[in-house]
Amino acid sequence: MKRSDEAFWWALFSAGGVMAALFVPAFVLVTGFLLPAGGDGAVAAERTTQFAAAVGWWPVKLALLGVLALSFVHCGHRIRHTLMDLGLRRYSGLLKVPCYGGALAATVWAALLLWRV
Amino acid sequence: MSGQFHRPHAWAWFLERPGYVRFMVRELTSFFVAGYLIVLLVTLGRLGGGEAAFAEWLSALSGPGWMLAHVVALIAAVWHSITWFAAVPQAMPVYLGEKKLPAPLAAVVMGYGPWLTVTAGIVWWVLR
Amino acid sequence: MSTELTMTLEVFRYHPETDHEPRFQAYEVPYDEDWVVLDALNWIKDHVDGSLTHRWSCRMGVCGSCGMMVNGDPKLTCAVFLKDYYPRPIKVEPLVNFPVERDLVVSLDGFMDKLEAVKPYIIRDDVNDTSGGEYLQSPAELAQYKQYSMCINCMLCYAACPVAGHEDEFLGPAALALGHRYNKDSRDQGQAERLDVMLVGEAIWGCTFVGECTVVCPKHVDPAGAIQQAKAVGAQEFFKRFVAPKGAGV
Repeated sequence: MKRSDEAFWWALFSAGGVMAALFVPAFVLVTGFLLPAGGDGAVAAERTTQFAAAVGWWPVKLALLGVLALSFVHCGHRIRHTLMDLGLRRYSGLLKVPCYGGALAATVWAALLLWRV
Repeated sequence: MSGQFHRPHAWAWFLERPGYVRFMVRELTSFFVAGYLIVLLVTLGRLGGGEAAFAEWLSALSGPGWMLAHVVALIAAVWHSITWFAAVPQAMPVYLGEKKLPAPLAAVVMGYGPWLTVTAGIVWWVLR
Repeated sequence: MSTELTMTLEVFRYHPETDHEPRFQAYEVPYDEDWVVLDALNWIKDHVDGSLTHRWSCRMGVCGSCGMMVNGDPKLTCAVFLKDYYPRPIKVEPLVNFPVERDLVVSLDGFMDKLEAVKPYIIRDDVNDTSGGEYLQSPAELAQYKQYSMCINCMLCYAACPVAGHEDEFLGPAALALGHRYNKDSRDQGQAERLDVMLVGEAIWGCTFVGECTVVCPKHVDPAGAIQQAKAVGAQEFFKRFVAPKGAGV
């Protein structure tokens, strides 16, 4: 019997799990709290400048795109397996379309947005 | 071979053991992390849309609804990190000759250390 | 003499020739703080109800025959004491995720097939050639798999695993850990054969690392860790195909 292609998705899931574990809490701190809590004045302007400077630098863009892409696949894979464990096991193949397709679409969207920044 | 008894499967099997509940909570972090990442894409989009659009978006994000959503996202993201680093020594044991690197030490070296470094670095960059 | 203390065992009963459904039967057993649950079951069989059917052998946590659900937890009944539950009643059931043959006895057939499938023995090309002497192994090489070789096939891990209960293709914790144990053995040359079994369908990939197999294992085998490591080997093999063409010496 042929070996499953699940090895490929699992590898990306694992890499994405590492990326999400290392980076996402810091991202939430920055975009969820530090930037919005800066108010309207000079503090906000300065933080926004710093943020824009980082995201606008192409090595950061590439790294960010990599982190985001892997994190998306991580989430897609985990969501797919959670749904399987919750009773959708027989649709394991079909679930690949929204879960990995969604991750791919989000990655393309992220690439376009980062290109524009 | 007559009459083996097969137990029925409970739909809510994940409530049957505390370990199953913890497992399900860990898996569900991915839904919240995915949700946050979509919001992050919107933030990046507004950043590309110019200063005014970005300032407007940040002012929306400072409302109580978005703040609460980000608190939830932060809890989910941190819980993902903690459970991931707990799994690393099991999934990737490091052997020093005959001895395995003790799990707590492995979690610090391969998880918490890099995590705190990355987080401190990013926060410092924005705040400096 | 003081009044003898007793406690209640609620025991899962199922006799296929008379019962359509399982039922629970309560037995009063003498309470002795040195007794394990298996002692109480043997007392019932010897003194109250000879029709009670259960498996046991060594009484010392080595043979792996007496695994049952004790108050919902998979346990070796020779290793859980009455005193840990007294005075509350103890509910004893056959291991979940297995078909029940009779009372506390489950069918081993599916498990045996899965165990056999992973070829849990050393595979070598030169198996009949002993001219080179013993296959030497360093302590560091032994350490790579020793923990995973402690399995006694008690099947508690299958009773703790929700995936084993829901996915027939899944080989399950003990079989996968044993497959990994031989893959990690420096004397073994059978990894490719085993991976051809382990990496198919949901055989290993059904595992979502719930981790309860490791929690309930009486021998501290850590099947959950072994399975993740085996998945990582599977992932490496997957990507190797693109780096080195088939047959190249990588």
